[in-house]
Amino acid sequence: MGVPALFRWLSQKYPKIVSPVIEELPQEIDGVTVPVDTTKPNPNGEMDNLYLDMNGIVHPCSHPEDRPAPETEEEMMMAVFEYTDRVVNMVRPRKVLMIAVDGVAPRAKMNQQRSRRFRSAKEAQEKEDDTAALMILLEKQRGHKIDEELKGKKVWDSNAITPGTPFMDILAASLRYWCQYKLNTDPAWAKLKVIISDSTVPGEGEHKIMEFIRSQRGNPEHDPNTRHVIYGLDADLIMLGLGTHEPHFRVLREDVFAADKKQKGCQICGQTGHRAEECQGKAKQKSGEFDEKATTVNVSKKPFIWLHVGILREYLAVELDVKEQGFRFDLERAIDDWVFMCFFVGNDFLPHLPSLEIRDGGIDTLMAIWKDNLPVMGGYLTKDGSVELDKVQYILDGLAKQEDAIFRRRKQGEDRREENAKRRKLQEQGRNGRANTNDRPGYEDAVMSAPSNRRKVPDSAPPPMIPLMKPGDLSAETKKLNYDMVMNREGIRKANLQNKSAAAVLKAQLASGKLEVAAESPVNGAETESESATPADGEAAVAPVTPAKRKADEVEAEDAAPAPKKDAEMPPDTVRLWEPGYRDRYYEQKFHVNADDHEFRHKVAAAYVEGLCWVLRYYFQGCPSWDWYYPYHYAPFAQDFKDVGKLEINFTHGTIFKPFEQLMGVLPAASKHTLPTPFHKLMTDENSEIIEFYPENFPIDLNGKKFAWQGVALLPFIDEKRLLAAIQKVYPQLTPEDLARNELGRDTLLISDGHPLYDDVVNRFYSKKADVTKYKISMRTSEGLAGGVEKDPSFIPRSTLTFPLATGGMPDLDNDRTMSLFYDLPKTKNIHKSMLLRGVRLDPPTLNRGDIEMTRSRAEGRGR
Amino acid sequence: MTAQSSSFPLNQQLRRGAAVRRPQEITCFSYDDQHQYQSDASGLRYYYNPQLDTDLSQGFEEFDQHDDSVDEHLDSLLRAIMEHEKATGKKCATDIMTWRGLITKASAITSFLEENHSYKMANRWKPDRRGAQMSFWGYKFESLATLPKTWHECTREEVDNRPNERVSNKAQFCSIVKTGLGDTKLILGGEVDAVWDVRPSYVELKTSKLPVNERDEVTFERKLQKFWAQSFLLGVGKIVVGFRDDHGTLLSTRDFETQAIPAIAKRSQRRLWDGNQSIDFTAEALRWIKEQIHEGGVWRIKYDPKGNREITITKVEGEKTFLTQEFLEWRETATLQ
Ligand SMILES: [Mg+2]
Repeated sequence: MGVPALFRWLSQKYPKIVSPVIEELPQEIDGVTVPVDTTKPNPNGEMDNLYLDMNGIVHPCSHPEDRPAPETEEEMMMAVFEYTDRVVNMVRPRKVLMIAVDGVAPRAKMNQQRSRRFRSAKEAQEKEDDTAALMILLEKQRGHKIDEELKGKKVWDSNAITPGTPFMDILAASLRYWCQYKLNTDPAWAKLKVIISDSTVPGEGEHKIMEFIRSQRGNPEHDPNTRHVIYGLDADLIMLGLGTHEPHFRVLREDVFAADKKQKGCQICGQTGHRAEECQGKAKQKSGEFDEKATTVNVSKKPFIWLHVGILREYLAVELDVKEQGFRFDLERAIDDWVFMCFFVGNDFLPHLPSLEIRDGGIDTLMAIWKDNLPVMGGYLTKDGSVELDKVQYILDGLAKQEDAIFRRRKQGEDRREENAKRRKLQEQGRNGRANTNDRPGYEDAVMSAPSNRRKVPDSAPPPMIPLMKPGDLSAETKKLNYDMVMNREGIRKANLQNKSAAAVLKAQLASGKLEVAAESPVNGAETESESATPADGEAAVAPVTPAKRKADEVEAEDAAPAPKKDAEMPPDTVRLWEPGYRDRYYEQKFHVNADDHEFRHKVAAAYVEGLCWVLRYYFQGCPSWDWYYPYHYAPFAQDFKDVGKLEINFTHGTIFKPFEQLMGVLPAASKHTLPTPFHKLMTDENSEIIEFYPENFPIDLNGKKFAWQGVALLPFIDEKRLLAAIQKVYPQLTPEDLARNELGRDTLLISDGHPLYDDVVNRFYSKKADVTKYKISMRTSEGLAGGVEKDPSFIPRSTLTFPLATGGMPDLDNDRTMSLFYDLPKTKNIHKSMLLRGVRLDPPTLNRGDIEMTRSRAEGRGR
Repeated sequence: MTAQSSSFPLNQQLRRGAAVRRPQEITCFSYDDQHQYQSDASGLRYYYNPQLDTDLSQGFEEFDQHDDSVDEHLDSLLRAIMEHEKATGKKCATDIMTWRGLITKASAITSFLEENHSYKMANRWKPDRRGAQMSFWGYKFESLATLPKTWHECTREEVDNRPNERVSNKAQFCSIVKTGLGDTKLILGGEVDAVWDVRPSYVELKTSKLPVNERDEVTFERKLQKFWAQSFLLGVGKIVVGFRDDHGTLLSTRDFETQAIPAIAKRSQRRLWDGNQSIDFTAEALRWIKEQIHEGGVWRIKYDPKGNREITITKVEGEKTFLTQEFLEWRETATLQ
C-alpha cells in the first residue's frame, strides 16, 4: 500500500513495535566458511510459518539501489537465492515456507502498475540519454576512450517483473529448483512444507498469502498459536497482519534507515571504486568463471528489523478503547476500523482524500473523529470486511467540518518551514562569510523527504535527475495536455530538458572546474512494487531500528525539514486549497467540470465509497471484483460525500486477465520486448486500434506536491473491452511456447522425504495401490497444513533435479528427495470473521504502565 | 439365606500405581432439545471463547430446565450400547458399566451400576433462589461458550448472539467410553459439554469463583480434583473454567489440560489431594466391588461420608434388575462375539 511514510509514522508513534533481528552469520574458521546451523534454536524465538512477498526480494536483487546491478538475469537469480537464504535463515520457519510472487492483479491495481511502469520507462530512457551524453562529454573533455560494449548497453528493464514475461518464467523455474535443492540438502528444511505461488497464479503476492492464512484459520485443527512472519517491504503488510487476527504475527524487513552509503557503481561501467567522471570506460572483468565472487562479495548486509503486530495490537487496545462508547468494546473490530481508516490516508487503489496526509497527522485526525462519533454510530464502522455505510457518513461529516482548517494549517506549516529555511540559510551564510557553492537548500531538503535511494546521494551531490515537468509548465501549457489527454510530446520533452540532468550538471561543473562528485540518478528504483525500502512510495526517512531512543525533538526537526526552495520559477499552486473557493477550482482544474455541477461531485464521491468498500473487502476477504476500478485520477473532498448510507454497493466477480492481457494493460511500448512480437505493433503502430493506450509521454500533475514521484501521472485509463478485443486478434499468431506463458498456473507444494507427508503421498499417488489423483491431506500427517493435493503429472519422484539456468554453477542432484504436488487451499463458502481463535495464548504484555499512560494521554491530545 | 453384606476397609494399605487404560470412545448418543434420545452426535456443541464481562444470570427466568425427578436409570446408555452392538456385531464386554458420575463419586455400584434415584431425590439439597441461580450460571456459561457448529461454520450473528440465547439443559451429548482402572474394565457413559472442534478432543466446562485470596485458592484447588476426576475418567482432555465474581459476572476463562491438573495440586504444596492416590483408591474399591458381587440381582452400595465413612455393599432382596427389558432381551437373543 503506497502510504508514504506509514511505516515511519507507525514506528514513531508506537516505538516498541520495532526491534532488531538477531542474525547469526557464517563463521570463518581457518579460511573455511562454516554456515550457521539453522536447525538450532532461533535466537529471535521460534517461528512456524514464513511468508515471502517475493517481489520485495526480486526487485532489489535485480536492480539494487546500493550496489552494482547484476549483469545477467541469471546473476539476478543467484542474488535472489542468496537473499532468500539469508531471510529464511533469520526466521528458521519450522512448518511452512510460502513464496508468493505477484500474479495478475485486480484491475483496480493495474492502473497503479501502469502508472509506475510508464514512469519507470520514461526515467530509464532519460537515464540512457543522460549516460550517453556523459560518455561523449568524458571522451571529449578527458580523452577517455569508452568501450563500445558499454556504449550500446541498455539498463535492465525492471518492467520485466510482471507476470507473463520470459523473466518471470525463469524466476519461477529458478525458485522451484532452489527450494528443491534446499529440501535436498539443508537439514533445517527437512520438515518444511514449501508452497510456491508463482506469477502464473492470479493475485498480488501478499494477498495470496493472506488468503492462505485465512483458509488455514478456517480449519478447526489449525493451531491458533502459530507464529507467522511475513517478509516484505510494503508498510501495509502490517495492516494485512492485523487483518488476519492472528496475534503471533511479525513483519520482517530490512532496516533501510540503517543503510549506509553503499556505492551503487559508476553510471558508465557499473563498477564500484570510482566515480563516473573518473571512468576509464572499461567493461567489467569477470571475477571467477561465473562472476560468482562479484555477486557474493558485494552483497550489502543491511540489518533487519522485526515489526511485532502483537505489540501494535497492545497499543491499539489502549488507543481504541473508548470509554462510554455505548456498546461492547471489541478489540478485533476496533482494529479493523483502524485499518479501514488508514486506507483513507492512502492505498494502492484509490488516491487519498486531499485533506488526509499522513505527515499532517491524517490518521490521528480520523481516529479522533471516530472516537467522538462511536456513541452516535452505535457500532463499529466495519464488520468482517464489509463497510457499514451509514456509519461512514459520520466520519466523513466529521472530516468535512475540519477540511478548510486542515488546508489552511497545512499551508501555514509550509510557509513557516520555508521561512525557517531561509533564516537558517542566511545565518549560515553569515557564519561562513560567503555562500556555500554546494549548498542547495531546496535540493537537500528534497532528499530528506524523498525516497531512500535519493537520500543516499552524497550530501553535496548535485540534484538527482528527477524527471518532472516543472510546475510552471503545469499551470500553462501542460494543463491543456491534462485536459485534453493529447500527448504533446514536444512540450513535455522541452519541460524535461529544463530539468537538470546529471550530464547537464556535470557539464556545468566541468566548465567551472568545480567538479566534486558524480551525479547519480535513481532510475532503477523508480519502479518497485514493494514500496518502502525502495523508493516508489516515498517512504522517506524510514524508521530507525530503535526509534524509542530517538529524542522527540530530533524527530520533530526531521518532520519540520524545510520545504524545497521555491524559486521564482516555481509557480503558485492554482488550486490554492487554503483559500475559499478551492472546491470549485479543484473540480474545474482537475476534473474539468463546471463549478456548479454538484451532481458530478457526488458521482465521484459515490465511486470513491465503492472503492473504500472494495479495498476493505480485498484486504479482509479476498478480491471482491477483478474488474472494478476507481475511474478518476483524483479523490473528492470529504464535503462531497452525501447520503453514503443510501448507496447500494455490489460487486461482480468479473474476469481475471490473462498474463499477456495484463502486460498489454500496464506496459509502455518501451517494454514491448517482454511481450511476444505479434503484440508489438499494437503498441507502436500508428494505425493500431489501441495506440492511444501507449503514449510515449504523459503529463505528471504535481497536485500540490513538490516532486514528480509524488505527483499524479495522467495516463488515460484502459478501455478493457477494446484492449481485450485487440489482443484476441493476436492470439492466433502466437507460438505454443508463448501461449504457455499466458496460462493460468497452480500453487505448488514441495516437501522432502524427511516429512511424514512424503510417504503418504507416495502411497496414494505412486504406489501399486495408488487409486486417486487428488485428496485432502490430513492435518496430522501434514503436521498442520490444511488443503488438498493433486498429482503433478510432470513430476517423477527420485529422478534428477536439474539446475534450470545455463550459468550460475548450482549442481544437478541425482535421486531428488523431494515431492512436488499441486496444492489447493481448503475451499470454504464462509466468510472469515475478525475474531481471535479459541485457545490462543497471547504473549505477556510488552507495554508497561508508563507506555500505556503515554499512549493514552497522547491519544487524547492528538488529532483534535 | 443370610443377608449378603460386607464393607470396604477404608484404612487399608493401598496397592500403588494402579494401571489406567486410556479411555476410548466406543459410541455416543444425544438428547435433543426436548430431551428425546437421538442415536447420533447431533447434541454435540463446539467450544468457542465466551464474551467476557457477561452477566451469567441473564435469562435465568427463562431457563428451559430438564425435569430430573423421573428416574432415567441406565436406559439411554443401554440403548446406545445395544445399538452399537447391533451395528458391530460385537459384545461390549466389561466388568462394570455405568455413568461416569458414579465412579467419580465412588459410591454406588454393581456390574451395572446405577444411582439410587429415590435416595438422591429425597436427600437432595433443595436450592433456594440464590442456589438455583448459581447452578444456572453453570448452564449459562455452557451456552455462552459453545456453538452448534464449528466457529468457522457459524455466522458472526450466531457467535455474537450467544448471550441472548435461551438457556436449556435438555439437549445433551453423551460419549460412551471403554476404559479400565487397575484390573477392572469399565464402560462409562457421560455428558460431554463441548468439543474442541474435532472429536474426540472434548472439553469440560466449569464455572468457579475467581480466587481472590488464599481461602478461595484452597477451595478452587479442591474443586480441581473433582474437575480432574470427572474429565479424566471419560478421557476429556481439556477443562475450561469460567471465572466469575460473586455477582455472577464472567470475568475470565482459563484452559486446563486434564492430565496436567494433578501437577498443579502437587506444585501448590498444600497436599490437598493426590491424583495417583485417587486412582489407586478407586481401583481398589472397584476391585473389591467386583469381588463382592458373586451372583445376579440388585446390590446396593452405600457410602456414608458423615458417619463412619465406610463403603458397604448389600444385596437388595426382592429386586431383580433395573436394566431395561429391551436390553435384556437383546442380550439374550443376540449371538455376539
Ligand atoms: Mg506485492
